[in-house]
Amino acid sequence: MILAYAVAIPVAAVFLFPYAWMLSGAFRRTRDVLADPLRLWPEQFDLAVLADIARIGGAPLHGFVLNSLLYTSLATVLGTLAAALGAYAITRRPRLPGFRWLRAGFLLTVMYPYMLLVVPVYIAMHKLGLLGSPLGIVLFLCLGPIQFLLFEQFFRAVPAAVIEAATIDGASEWQVLTRIVLPMAMPVTATVALIGFLLTWAQWFPVLVISRGPETYTLPVALLSLNTELGASFQGIMALAVLTTLPPAILFLIAQRRVMQGMAGGAVKG
Amino acid sequence: MRGLHRVRAEGIFYLLVLPFAALTVLFGLWPIVLSVQVSFTASATALRPDPQWVGLANYASVLGDTLFQESLWRTLAYTAMAVAANLAFALAAALLLDSKLLPRGNMAFRLILFLPVVTPDVAGYVVWRWLFDSSFGAVNAALDAAGLPAFAGLTTPATATASVLVAELWHHAGFYTLIFLANLAIRDPALEEAAKVDGAGAWARFRHVILPQLRPALVINLVYATIQFLKTFTVVVVMTKGGPAESTTFVSYLAYQYFDQARYGEATAMATILFAVVIVLSLLAYALGERGRA
Repeated sequence: MILAYAVAIPVAAVFLFPYAWMLSGAFRRTRDVLADPLRLWPEQFDLAVLADIARIGGAPLHGFVLNSLLYTSLATVLGTLAAALGAYAITRRPRLPGFRWLRAGFLLTVMYPYMLLVVPVYIAMHKLGLLGSPLGIVLFLCLGPIQFLLFEQFFRAVPAAVIEAATIDGASEWQVLTRIVLPMAMPVTATVALIGFLLTWAQWFPVLVISRGPETYTLPVALLSLNTELGASFQGIMALAVLTTLPPAILFLIAQRRVMQGMAGGAVKG
Repeated sequence: MRGLHRVRAEGIFYLLVLPFAALTVLFGLWPIVLSVQVSFTASATALRPDPQWVGLANYASVLGDTLFQESLWRTLAYTAMAVAANLAFALAAALLLDSKLLPRGNMAFRLILFLPVVTPDVAGYVVWRWLFDSSFGAVNAALDAAGLPAFAGLTTPATATASVLVAELWHHAGFYTLIFLANLAIRDPALEEAAKVDGAGAWARFRHVILPQLRPALVINLVYATIQFLKTFTVVVVMTKGGPAESTTFVSYLAYQYFDQARYGEATAMATILFAVVIVLSLLAYALGERGRA
């Protein structure tokens, strides 16, 4: 048992160290970090960094924060809704013409190397006139594999007898959906929305490709562009990394069980 | 009358599936078709309404390109290493977390391993990039404090590959651990008791009782990790830009560089080839995992 802790504690420390180092780096002046890279408690809580990152690539910091919150929330709501209704229809009527083809097509999309899909998406967005528009970014971010697979798994497990009973009682398909299936699906919907938010928040490449300038960048994209900027301050980069990490990290810690069960469930099915 | 009623009843399912179908087609299937289409055209004319068709010329050019050949082998070798390292780490972590050896703080350990999975990859890799830095980095400061020789980090080919592997393991291993843990939780403890009664040692029980029951998680993790690491991209963009000396230029990054140079035909041909490799290898991983199933 002591041996188990002797292994587990150092491993956990290595996994947590980047967070502690990032946090302290956000408050330590760059020359202090150079003098003593390992120190975790800041000499002083230096907030001058906020001026360093007030504007990145010509756009204000609060714009990136707002974009992240707005695009992620909208894509989560729309994506959850589309995945729920789509998975429900495909599970209830797998034999309808086109449905099997659609499901296979979706799974094919998931297998396609994502970063290589995104560049033809540039052409597609160009043809749709959505290049550089927040709407284009939101619509692209909606699509997610785990979301669909979680709903599909849930709807497959709904006993056919429950739906048959309602149909015999004269309920229309619309009533079956809104009065029976959707109320039952509330917990899985919460899980999907949560996981959808976490995964969408982290997206950067589609946002970068669809954007025409920093006005539509989200936090991860701003962080990437700051990191490649010559002469960007180390402290500024760490502060922006903290801003990018904090919202999903807090959300995860609040809803840990739901997130972990959902991720495991969606994967086991897929 | 009955027929009409049925059409109306089924029509609602088409209505429900419409948003999902529209998103899948517009932002998934159509771009893939566009990409394959572009791979058969001359790069200079690829984005015009009437591109010049060149047949398989881009594929021939890519397959004969030593940069591509090298990056393909590099990608395959890296994938093999990363899959082995991640699954070995995840299996060991899951067994330890599932055992009775860590009664206190068990949930905390699970959270710590999983937190990087939901941490935006760009943020995680940016921090690792600086951790490995020679003057800012804590890695070398720690080695120095322990009296060990300095680690070259992202500056030499072998150490850069190792650094990328470490950063990716930090980001991904928690997910594979979670899958193993979910599988361990539903295994049959009576089998282990029976084996114990029959005098089987700890290793024999692991090898012949626990491991066979972990086959579903192994198959899932093997397929997922194979797809994941064949597509390795973000970590390269953030940490190495493909260097030093092309040592981390994996296929997806090379294709991206070609796109950047407006070599659309060759880049999309590469994308199609990588897609084929992903499908073949994940089917192979699946078959490998299913083989010998009792």
